[in-house]
Amino acid sequence: MSSYKCPVCIKVSNTPLDLARHMIGRGDKEHRDWIASKGFKYSELLTMQLSSFGGEGYRAISEVLERETKVK
Amino acid sequence: MSEKYSVIGKNVHRVDGTEKVTGTAKYTFDIVLPNMLYGKILRSPYTSAKIVSIDTSKAEKMEGVYAVVTAKDTIHKKQGIWRRFPELCDEEILCSTKVRYIGDPVAAVAAIDEYTAEEALNLIEVEYEPLPAVYSQLEAIKEDAPQVHDGVELNINVTRHIEWGDVDEAFKECDVIREDHFVCSSQAHMCMETHCAAASYSYDGKLTVWASTQASYYTQVLLAGMLGMREGDIRVIKPPVGGGFGGKFELDSAQFCAALLSKKICRPVRIVLTREEEFTATKRRTPIVYTSRIGAKKDGTILAKEIRGITDGGAYTGMGATALYLTGFFSSFPYKYPNYRYDGYRAYTNTEPTSAMRGFGAPQAVFVGEQQIDLIAKDLGIDPIEIRRINGMVPNYEVPGQAFIQSCGLHQCLDKIDNYIKGRGKLPANRGIGVAAYGFMSGGIFNWFDTPYAFSSAIVKLSIDGKVDLFTGACDIGQGSDTTLSMITAEELGVKLSDIRIHAADTAICPADLGAWGSRETLMNGNACKMAAADAKRQIIEFAAAKMGVNIVHDLDIRDGWIYLADRPERKVSYYDIVREAIRGRDGETIIGRGHYTPHRKGMISPAYSFGVQAVEVDVDPETGKMKLINVVTAHESGTVINPIGITGQLEGAIMMAGGYALCEDQPMDQGKILNPSLADYKVIRSLDMPKTEIIEVDTYEPEGPFGAKEAGEGLTNPTAGAIANAVRNAVGVTITSLPITPEKIFMAMQEKKAKEKKAK
Repeated sequence: MSSYKCPVCIKVSNTPLDLARHMIGRGDKEHRDWIASKGFKYSELLTMQLSSFGGEGYRAISEVLERETKVK
Repeated sequence: MSEKYSVIGKNVHRVDGTEKVTGTAKYTFDIVLPNMLYGKILRSPYTSAKIVSIDTSKAEKMEGVYAVVTAKDTIHKKQGIWRRFPELCDEEILCSTKVRYIGDPVAAVAAIDEYTAEEALNLIEVEYEPLPAVYSQLEAIKEDAPQVHDGVELNINVTRHIEWGDVDEAFKECDVIREDHFVCSSQAHMCMETHCAAASYSYDGKLTVWASTQASYYTQVLLAGMLGMREGDIRVIKPPVGGGFGGKFELDSAQFCAALLSKKICRPVRIVLTREEEFTATKRRTPIVYTSRIGAKKDGTILAKEIRGITDGGAYTGMGATALYLTGFFSSFPYKYPNYRYDGYRAYTNTEPTSAMRGFGAPQAVFVGEQQIDLIAKDLGIDPIEIRRINGMVPNYEVPGQAFIQSCGLHQCLDKIDNYIKGRGKLPANRGIGVAAYGFMSGGIFNWFDTPYAFSSAIVKLSIDGKVDLFTGACDIGQGSDTTLSMITAEELGVKLSDIRIHAADTAICPADLGAWGSRETLMNGNACKMAAADAKRQIIEFAAAKMGVNIVHDLDIRDGWIYLADRPERKVSYYDIVREAIRGRDGETIIGRGHYTPHRKGMISPAYSFGVQAVEVDVDPETGKMKLINVVTAHESGTVINPIGITGQLEGAIMMAGGYALCEDQPMDQGKILNPSLADYKVIRSLDMPKTEIIEVDTYEPEGPFGAKEAGEGLTNPTAGAIANAVRNAVGVTITSLPITPEKIFMAMQEKKAKEKKAK
């Protein structure tokens, strides 16, 4: 079974979507900087989350996390 | 010995009742120490401003003033109860460079009396540079909103997400889907005793603090962190407390400033917040705006729910992050949603911080959820009680990934309320009954405080005459835990309630306990007390068995002051005689029993949950929209009832508080300034406004609780606002989606309804 390790802290998640929630949810400078380094604007991801159902903000970043943070 | 229990289940007056009703109880407010000084706190008049300078020289020179403290007297730490998450420890208490709401403390004075201290505050010159501010969560999350805390984008302080199942797929299978918006307002804790503390720092480097607190252990540890002291050098004593309701388990300005002043001059200092400070500069119930979507099949089976909540966090985190989580968790209660998603966001604003308050986010969730259940039942043409039966939680139900519910009497409660409503027959015009179902936790499992101690602990010490001293860190804040815990100890040990003397919430002599929040004391500390009593009992029985020379196949028990063979109760010896002999026989060693409780492997939220259903009958004046509460009937299950009269008290208090939240209590603001910070202007339900109340106790047994007991405190606050809203709809056909439900809102909604009906014709 694959898991996904946060590139910033020790958090390990079962799915990239869960890890995306963690990354956005923590929202401290280190996590935000990583998000920014991947070309996302943290505030835009949050705005997507706040303005609609369906977790669009989380989904956007989860695609990157799936590629880059997967561990066996 | 025919009855199952000797002590529990009986109506018992509070062990602290006599001293309270005779006025001899000494609250923190009453503490007077030799050489004591009186403190006052200077607070920000601005919602957001940079502190350019603070000049205290004139105040320091004033006759009768002994000390002035500002941020420069602190160790420049920010405090918060979320010690595992430093970014959530965001409150300096005494601000150094920036104030974030009207009421933020900037300096404190200790003087010979309160008047002198008050006058000295006027001599402190603070130069502010006003900054742009933001006053509501929906404004705060805009891109161009001023940042309350630097670097916090969109002012989002915390986010929380709860999800199980496949919500998006489930919605595709629904026959009916509805989406609604709700607005929940704020509420003041309205404790009769305002926040207060007396602190005494001695030359040996030890600090003693008497505090009106819900958690003396938290106060001790948080003070140690903020003062740069060791925990063991701080003793926190909780005298009788005049109400907490969630507002007194964080470190507050009275505690911190009194301690800081006392530490500076080695004299005792007492600070009592004024009623205005209590309203404007403590914490308050969290206002939340919700968007909620729910979908069901034609037969009433709910397939999915998705809810988003954005809370007004005010200036600091406090306990608001937990309220954010719990409102999401309890938005799923008390139903078996197979697919569920919650996204919660807490936004900083330049207003008084919001935090825990009785129900901890659940009353807001129930106001939303129970209205939506009624609305979708109406869409489907299903009876409101029936839809709750179809979807209601049952014993041994697991909330996926969140909680495991062992005992659950929701369906019995629904039956009782159904019978009650049917018994009321046809109601007059403009009168309606609304129902709301609810559940609540028996203490929280979350350890944001990162305590290394057991969540609850107790010690039982037996005197030579068989009397029992019970030591516990549990905090009685008026809810009656001293009585409940004494009853549990007496029952387990087999002695009379009058044999117990409780010593509670003094950190120097009592083992740690996380305090009175989340309705945790009966279950968690009750288990610790029961275990401590059992430990002491075992030691007595060991001695008694030897003394009585009984065959080892017999079990001994203690009850009503007798130690007896369980299967031959006529063979007995006096408990009191055996204790005396046992202590002598153990070379004079005192008999001490120890107990502790920490929930393990009980899910993420709580070890147990109580449930109930409330029916509220209202009468609405169609001319004015004015509504009258006629009666409130609550079918409730809380496992084994320890003290029935205690539950009645909790219920009546809850209806008063939750009814106030539903109808009249609010803290309107103008540019961040609370407009009603006095008892004259802040409207509550008074005794004469109270409706008739009735409680129907439903029998359940909670395996995790002491003698099968669980929560009976906060949960009762949850249903009332939702039930009232549903009752108004049933009375006059209008849906009120924002709190409080004022006559103006009802009147306007009725006008709108009439206009729509006229247009349709």
